[in-house]
Amino acid sequence: MNRGTALTVASAGMAALLLAGALAPEFLPVPELGTRMAPPWEAPPLGRDDRGIPLHLMAMQGAGIVAGPALMAAVTTAVCAGLAGWIRCQNLPRLDGAIQAVGEVLGSLPRLVVVLVAALLIPPSFKGLMPVAVVWTVLSLPAAMDEAAVAAARLGGARFVEALRAHGFSQWRIYGIHILGTNLRPILVRQAAEVASQVVFLEIALSYLAVARNEPSFTHRENLASWANLLYLGYTALLGQPLLHALVLAISLLAAVVGCAHLFVVAARAR
Amino acid sequence: MGAPDWTRPTIRLASAGLLPFAVPAVLTATLWALPGDPAAIICPPAICTGGAELAARWHLDAGPTGFYTHWMTSALQGDFGNSWRMAQGTPVGELLWTSLPVTTALVVLSALWMASPAVLAGLGRLPRAGDGVLRAAGLAPSVLLALLAAAFVEIRYGALSHDGFPALLRVGLASLVLALADGATSQAVSATRTVLSEEGKARYLGIATLRGEGALSNLLPNVLPTLAGYWRGRMLHLLSGAVVVEVILGVPGLGELLWDGTLLQDFGVVLAAAWAFSWMAACLLLAQALVEVGVVAAVRYVPARVVT
Repeated sequence: MNRGTALTVASAGMAALLLAGALAPEFLPVPELGTRMAPPWEAPPLGRDDRGIPLHLMAMQGAGIVAGPALMAAVTTAVCAGLAGWIRCQNLPRLDGAIQAVGEVLGSLPRLVVVLVAALLIPPSFKGLMPVAVVWTVLSLPAAMDEAAVAAARLGGARFVEALRAHGFSQWRIYGIHILGTNLRPILVRQAAEVASQVVFLEIALSYLAVARNEPSFTHRENLASWANLLYLGYTALLGQPLLHALVLAISLLAAVVGCAHLFVVAARAR
Repeated sequence: MGAPDWTRPTIRLASAGLLPFAVPAVLTATLWALPGDPAAIICPPAICTGGAELAARWHLDAGPTGFYTHWMTSALQGDFGNSWRMAQGTPVGELLWTSLPVTTALVVLSALWMASPAVLAGLGRLPRAGDGVLRAAGLAPSVLLALLAAAFVEIRYGALSHDGFPALLRVGLASLVLALADGATSQAVSATRTVLSEEGKARYLGIATLRGEGALSNLLPNVLPTLAGYWRGRMLHLLSGAVVVEVILGVPGLGELLWDGTLLQDFGVVLAAAWAFSWMAACLLLAQALVEVGVVAAVRYVPARVVT
């Protein structure tokens, strides 16, 4: 697939996610037990759950939960990784060393363990996916920053910048176009897409575990349905409930996230 | 050949030694740094009664230093107190010692699943055609693969099948899910193959082969530190994923303990489980440091065997 098409499809996918999240209702409608478990052809567009609630509204609420934190994670990762590449080109060994040391410490613990401990300590008024996503992003940053810094060093680091300066290039052209735009772009976009999709999967996993234990999730308010609810309905379909449409929808949403992230990577790949 | 670099192994050894003490310290510091009373944070008055008694019993009223010192001294003697909410009155140590071997077995088994194709790929015995299959399987998040595995066990043996063969099956499937999901094995295969094949192109290896020396004995000292670092990251990934997989598949390990503790706001259980995880992470750091020390020592004391 060429890069233009990949960028168009990925951007459309992301826009759809953000739009669905923005248009999601704050509360789900009252259950209609007469239409419970209705498949899409009986209750369009996506069918109903085991209480007769439209699945598309649940999917929209789920998009609303993950859209903002995933976007924040992607932007933060790309900016910080770009910064690490810039620092490597500035010949600042002390700052570079300090970043590596902090990264080594942050990266030495299992991420989900840190996230769960943080979730316990986050005050109830701040409960939501955003603080959890911030913790996850901070823990993911060292790897992204390290990769960007290594790529910048491989490019020549400070000597590369000096050589371009000698050619009379402006600061913007050196850092904005040559280093970030041309050389670090594939790494920044890949890392950002990976961390964003990890945040989505993290929300689904944490909410799924809470749903499976019949406990409220700490990633969203109780009036909202996560994509994990769809996945749980899908799980009951595997056990014999006529909710196969919920399983298909949940897997399609996961596939859409993976596909979107992959297409962004394809769109940003080096020529 | 330059002077041997002891810096990285030394830092790693020091980190491994400090980590189990640093994790509870950071948690304690965070607890006291947050706005509000620590007792109210870990036992919110809205859902928890008897906060003052708990604060006194847990030495929360002794300030951060008092709390940390008491907890660490007791923990080093194997005493983690009793569970507050998850399994009220049960000693946390008992919960910990029951779940620790399960998670260890799960992670070791997953690592074996992951390492087998990676080693074969590194040695050039695994065809590249298989990479696509592994990559496709790795696209699935662990939560999805785990629930498929859980459905399989529950349909076949029932939802309450947690003993005997079904229990073993749950651990086996959980390890397989951990190894496959989130690109664990596909990335391990690709990284190991890349590291070894790139190093294999180095000029010194050709010279060594011409001298009649073994390729692997020359190659390994140069790639081992990189591979050790990479595999430590992979093992951490497995430990992290174990939480999700254990809960979904009903494997009674450390991850499930941590999750239940978090969900039910049982700070005592969470602190102890996090401490156990920090020991595991420290062991991984120690293993990496020992590999690096071994390589540096080989370069320093047996330089004839290592050509760089």
